Amino acid sequence: MQDQLSALLAKAQSEFPSLKTRPEFEAAKARFVGPNGELTGLMKQMGSVPKEQKPALGKLINEAKAQLQAHIDATLRRIEAAELQAQLGPAIDPSLPSPDPDFGTYHPLTLVREEMCRILRKVGFTVVEGPEVETEYYCFDALNTPADHPARDAQDTFYLPTNARFGNISKKTPDEKYLLRTHTSSVQIRTMLKGEPPIRIVSPGRVYRRDTTDATHSANFHQLECLYVDKNVTVRDLKALLDYIFASLLGKETKTRFRTHYFGYTEPSFEVDLSAKHLPKVNKEWIEIGGCGMVDPTVFADVGYDPEVWTGYAFGMGLERLAMLLYGIDDIRYFYQNDLRFLRQFA
Amino acid sequence: MKISLNWLQDYIDLSGISADEICRAITLLGFEVEQVIRTGAPELKNVVVGEILTRGKHPNADKLSVCTVDVGPEHGGVRTIVCGAPNCDAGNRVPVALPGAIMPGNFEIKLSKIRGQESQGMMCSAKELTISDEAQGLLILADRPAIGTPINQVLPPGDTVLDIEITPNRPDCLSHIGIARELSAWFKKELRYPAVKFEPAHATEARPDLLKSVRVTAPEECPLYTATVITGVKIAPSPAWLQERLRAIGQRPINNVVDISNYVLHEYGQPTHAFDAKKIGGSEIIVRLAAESEKIVTLDGKERTLASNMLVIADAQKSLVVAGVMGGENSGVDDTTTDLVLEVAYFKRQSVRATSRKLGLSSDSSYRYERGVDPHSLEEAGRRAIDLILEIAGGKVAGFTQRIGADVPWQREIVVTPGFINEKLGFTIPEADMKAAFEALELTIVREEPTESRGPAWTVSIPSWRDDLDRPIDLVEEVLRVYGTEKIPASRVLAPGLVGDDDAVVVFNRRVADALVGQRFHECVNYTLRSVRELQAAATPETLSSLALANPFVEDQSHLRPTLVTGLLDTLKLNQSRGVAASRLFETGRIFLERGDQLVECVAVAFVIAENADKRSWLKRELADFYTAKNLVGTLAAAAGIDLSRQPLVAVNDINAFGWQAGHSALAGDIKYGWTTRFGLLDLAAVKAAGVEGKVYAGQFAILPEKLTSAETRRRYQPFSLFPAALRDLALVVDEALPAADVQKTLAKIARAAVGNAFALEGVGVFDVYRGKGLPEGKKSLAFSFTFRAADRTLTDDEVNAVFNKIQDELTKSTPYQIRK
Repeated sequence: MQDQLSALLAKAQSEFPSLKTRPEFEAAKARFVGPNGELTGLMKQMGSVPKEQKPALGKLINEAKAQLQAHIDATLRRIEAAELQAQLGPAIDPSLPSPDPDFGTYHPLTLVREEMCRILRKVGFTVVEGPEVETEYYCFDALNTPADHPARDAQDTFYLPTNARFGNISKKTPDEKYLLRTHTSSVQIRTMLKGEPPIRIVSPGRVYRRDTTDATHSANFHQLECLYVDKNVTVRDLKALLDYIFASLLGKETKTRFRTHYFGYTEPSFEVDLSAKHLPKVNKEWIEIGGCGMVDPTVFADVGYDPEVWTGYAFGMGLERLAMLLYGIDDIRYFYQNDLRFLRQFA
Repeated sequence: MKISLNWLQDYIDLSGISADEICRAITLLGFEVEQVIRTGAPELKNVVVGEILTRGKHPNADKLSVCTVDVGPEHGGVRTIVCGAPNCDAGNRVPVALPGAIMPGNFEIKLSKIRGQESQGMMCSAKELTISDEAQGLLILADRPAIGTPINQVLPPGDTVLDIEITPNRPDCLSHIGIARELSAWFKKELRYPAVKFEPAHATEARPDLLKSVRVTAPEECPLYTATVITGVKIAPSPAWLQERLRAIGQRPINNVVDISNYVLHEYGQPTHAFDAKKIGGSEIIVRLAAESEKIVTLDGKERTLASNMLVIADAQKSLVVAGVMGGENSGVDDTTTDLVLEVAYFKRQSVRATSRKLGLSSDSSYRYERGVDPHSLEEAGRRAIDLILEIAGGKVAGFTQRIGADVPWQREIVVTPGFINEKLGFTIPEADMKAAFEALELTIVREEPTESRGPAWTVSIPSWRDDLDRPIDLVEEVLRVYGTEKIPASRVLAPGLVGDDDAVVVFNRRVADALVGQRFHECVNYTLRSVRELQAAATPETLSSLALANPFVEDQSHLRPTLVTGLLDTLKLNQSRGVAASRLFETGRIFLERGDQLVECVAVAFVIAENADKRSWLKRELADFYTAKNLVGTLAAAAGIDLSRQPLVAVNDINAFGWQAGHSALAGDIKYGWTTRFGLLDLAAVKAAGVEGKVYAGQFAILPEKLTSAETRRRYQPFSLFPAALRDLALVVDEALPAADVQKTLAKIARAAVGNAFALEGVGVFDVYRGKGLPEGKKSLAFSFTFRAADRTLTDDEVNAVFNKIQDELTKSTPYQIRK
């Protein structure tokens, strides 16, 4: 039996290393250690072996069994490795480009809007939205715009036909006309009418002017307005907000300047200039960036807030103008052409 | 509005203050300086008077001369200068720019060789010195100033003219005196009004033959009208100083009387008008409303058709002037005029504005009336005009000025305290500075009474030209303006916690943009207003007509958009036409949909995925298809809290599917219920018509903004089984047209019934669709996989098989589906 075991091990020694595939391996494994395998056959002979020889022979069989198992394990590892290897194609060339689209991009106007909203959220402003189709009341009357103000003219503002009906845009009076809002200030009115002071909101959105499209004008563009209503709000607070916004946006070296101006819905009113010579394509000392002021008492009275109690400020600016300044873009039309060579620059 | 700094000096001493400082003052006072125009010669160093001593021909150029020029011993004596001007004759004294001079346009004079001949400077024309457009020859200094004199001492001083934009609340600043008043407050310099000399007592006897009567039949539109007869004037060109002033501010001098009227307008802001007395038919002036369709030929030679709400100045027969807007062609002053009627009037701004708008006719006069002239400065401006006419054109005032209309009453006082002002400002301005600001603006403090805590209560008298000041808050701005907005102290933003949630619309837009950018889409922004041509395929004619604006500005931006997709197609077209590969694009924005007989404004997001036929790649990828679009739309709907997998999807089979391809697109939802979506392949013909090449898959999701809510229900954890699942597959032969989801639903229902409470059906999903060989015509095979699982044990084959058999029995019994063996 010892000789038989030796012969068996010698056979295994020569057969296993030459096995290439898993079926060959499984067949060989069955031949040696399967239920009808040769080792199993030898083990069955153990019963007829004299008792005194049993321990020695048993030891031999166990050793042979262990050696066979080692062959089996090694072969299985080798075949598995070969199988994995076979799953691979030729080595890659890392320098070849991926055929998949490389990245998506936010539109620069979105980037600027979101950056402004982030800056303003830090000081407690909540972002609100309102309809782009508005009525004369929300766009003009409530903002203290005189009845014969040029902004109301059909020459400057887009109107909808008198029979137009909008199911989800409320009118103040039944016979007022629908129009495309000329500023996002209408959202301030809707917010004040809906809510209660104190209020601290920022309303970004699309606005419309009946204007010739050129490098700096567009039939629709975007604004962003802030409104803060509380007790004891002062001009100094307003200046602090503007300083904060533009220092956050453009760096600490940025200065802002107020120039008194006229808007119907604020008093006093200011235009805001920026001094930011470190920006690209800025060659003037001061650049006009927006308008602001203390909410006019008339506006408060109109929305039912007691002007003796409530004070507030409002600030508005054009997002295209800001984006042009930030990125050094010189033509507003690029925002609306969506040339991929333009869009991909803002990844 | 143009303001000449030379002219301003008549009313305020600005000597020693640079133009830059004046611009800054005007800017900070609240007016925009749009342009600074310098006239005359700038400061020119190394440009001096020289005398041409000799003129010889240039050896190498026919048109050039070589001159010797004496520029004086301190500038190097006699120099040789090559000159191309025809008039560089010996004996002429001319401006000579010496090497080192910087000429206008920033060009430096250097020693040079011109065609081989050295030239030690340049003799200058008037144009080169920017004092006129005369470029034909050298500027000959006929007065023969001393040789070597710096040229600025010889040339007339230049002027600086500011083009200023005046805000609509400050019509009082539409004049030189108005601006001077503001500057006097800023620079704390005295304001000098012109001395007005004419007194009614100086008038000679009245001339009813020239002006019999003045009547105003429209006192509402014309509250005050004055007319003065001046006889014996001599019409001639204005004196040089007057012409120069008008030219400086861009006005063309015409004759002395017209120029004076113009001058007073720009001095006081008060329009006046001079009629030739002879041309007033019936010697009668009637201020009346025009007859409907009445015609008048205005000074610009155009015939205007008037309407019955327009005010005119007429004589007995015809209208002479469109009141406050423009004179008529045949009533004005001309070279033969000897007697004139001077009109100084107050017309209501609304009336002038409406007329000017309607006629599309604007003038310096209408511009001022529209914004409001001060009726209380009217008389003084009138007397100033009379002074100037008598002084320059001669003549005498005949009789008293006829004055029709009552005085427009004016009295306004505002009570304000320093405490109030400081409260609004948030910082303290010393009382003395506040008082100084008021005084400088001629806002007189007429009474001062103590208050408990807010300092003295000042009663401020408001001058008639400051109609814009009405409430204490208005005075806050006046104080701050003059005190200086630059002195507002810096501080930190105080932000008491008011933080609410961002609007649900904002949150939705962010979510979908984040999702699509993450899927490597590029965000686009297109115009809301689109053309009919573009939208034709995207909406019914009825919808289109309801989307039309009442007053579009240009033809291709006439309608509100009912979809974002056409804009994205436009973007694809633009990129394709520029040879730029563009495939995955999206946009968020408002669209307008019909709901019943109304429109609704919706929040929408849309994407397109275009085939890039041109774009070759070394490695092929599978293109997008309908199910790519379906998957993306599911993501967009989820951002609005809608689970698209639970919504019935409708295959679009209409041939006319608003730009979507029949048989290859689908829709879900309905704006009636608040939201709607369409997705799939865009109509091939429509895409081609839009100028886009290749197939385009797209999706759009739209929802009413009020349907979006930011409140989310918090999810609850569901326990799940830790035991293995049992799977069974089943293929069914069904009608070709039957949606897989219908079959799936039926299967799930039957399976759930078969399982009962024994264990759970985890899911039924389609994993194969087959058509063709082995199946009858009009049928397809759908293969489903069932997943069973128990919460508490491993399922045995027997119990699963029992259920599976039950399912098949039930299917055979109750459905037309055939089990495919």
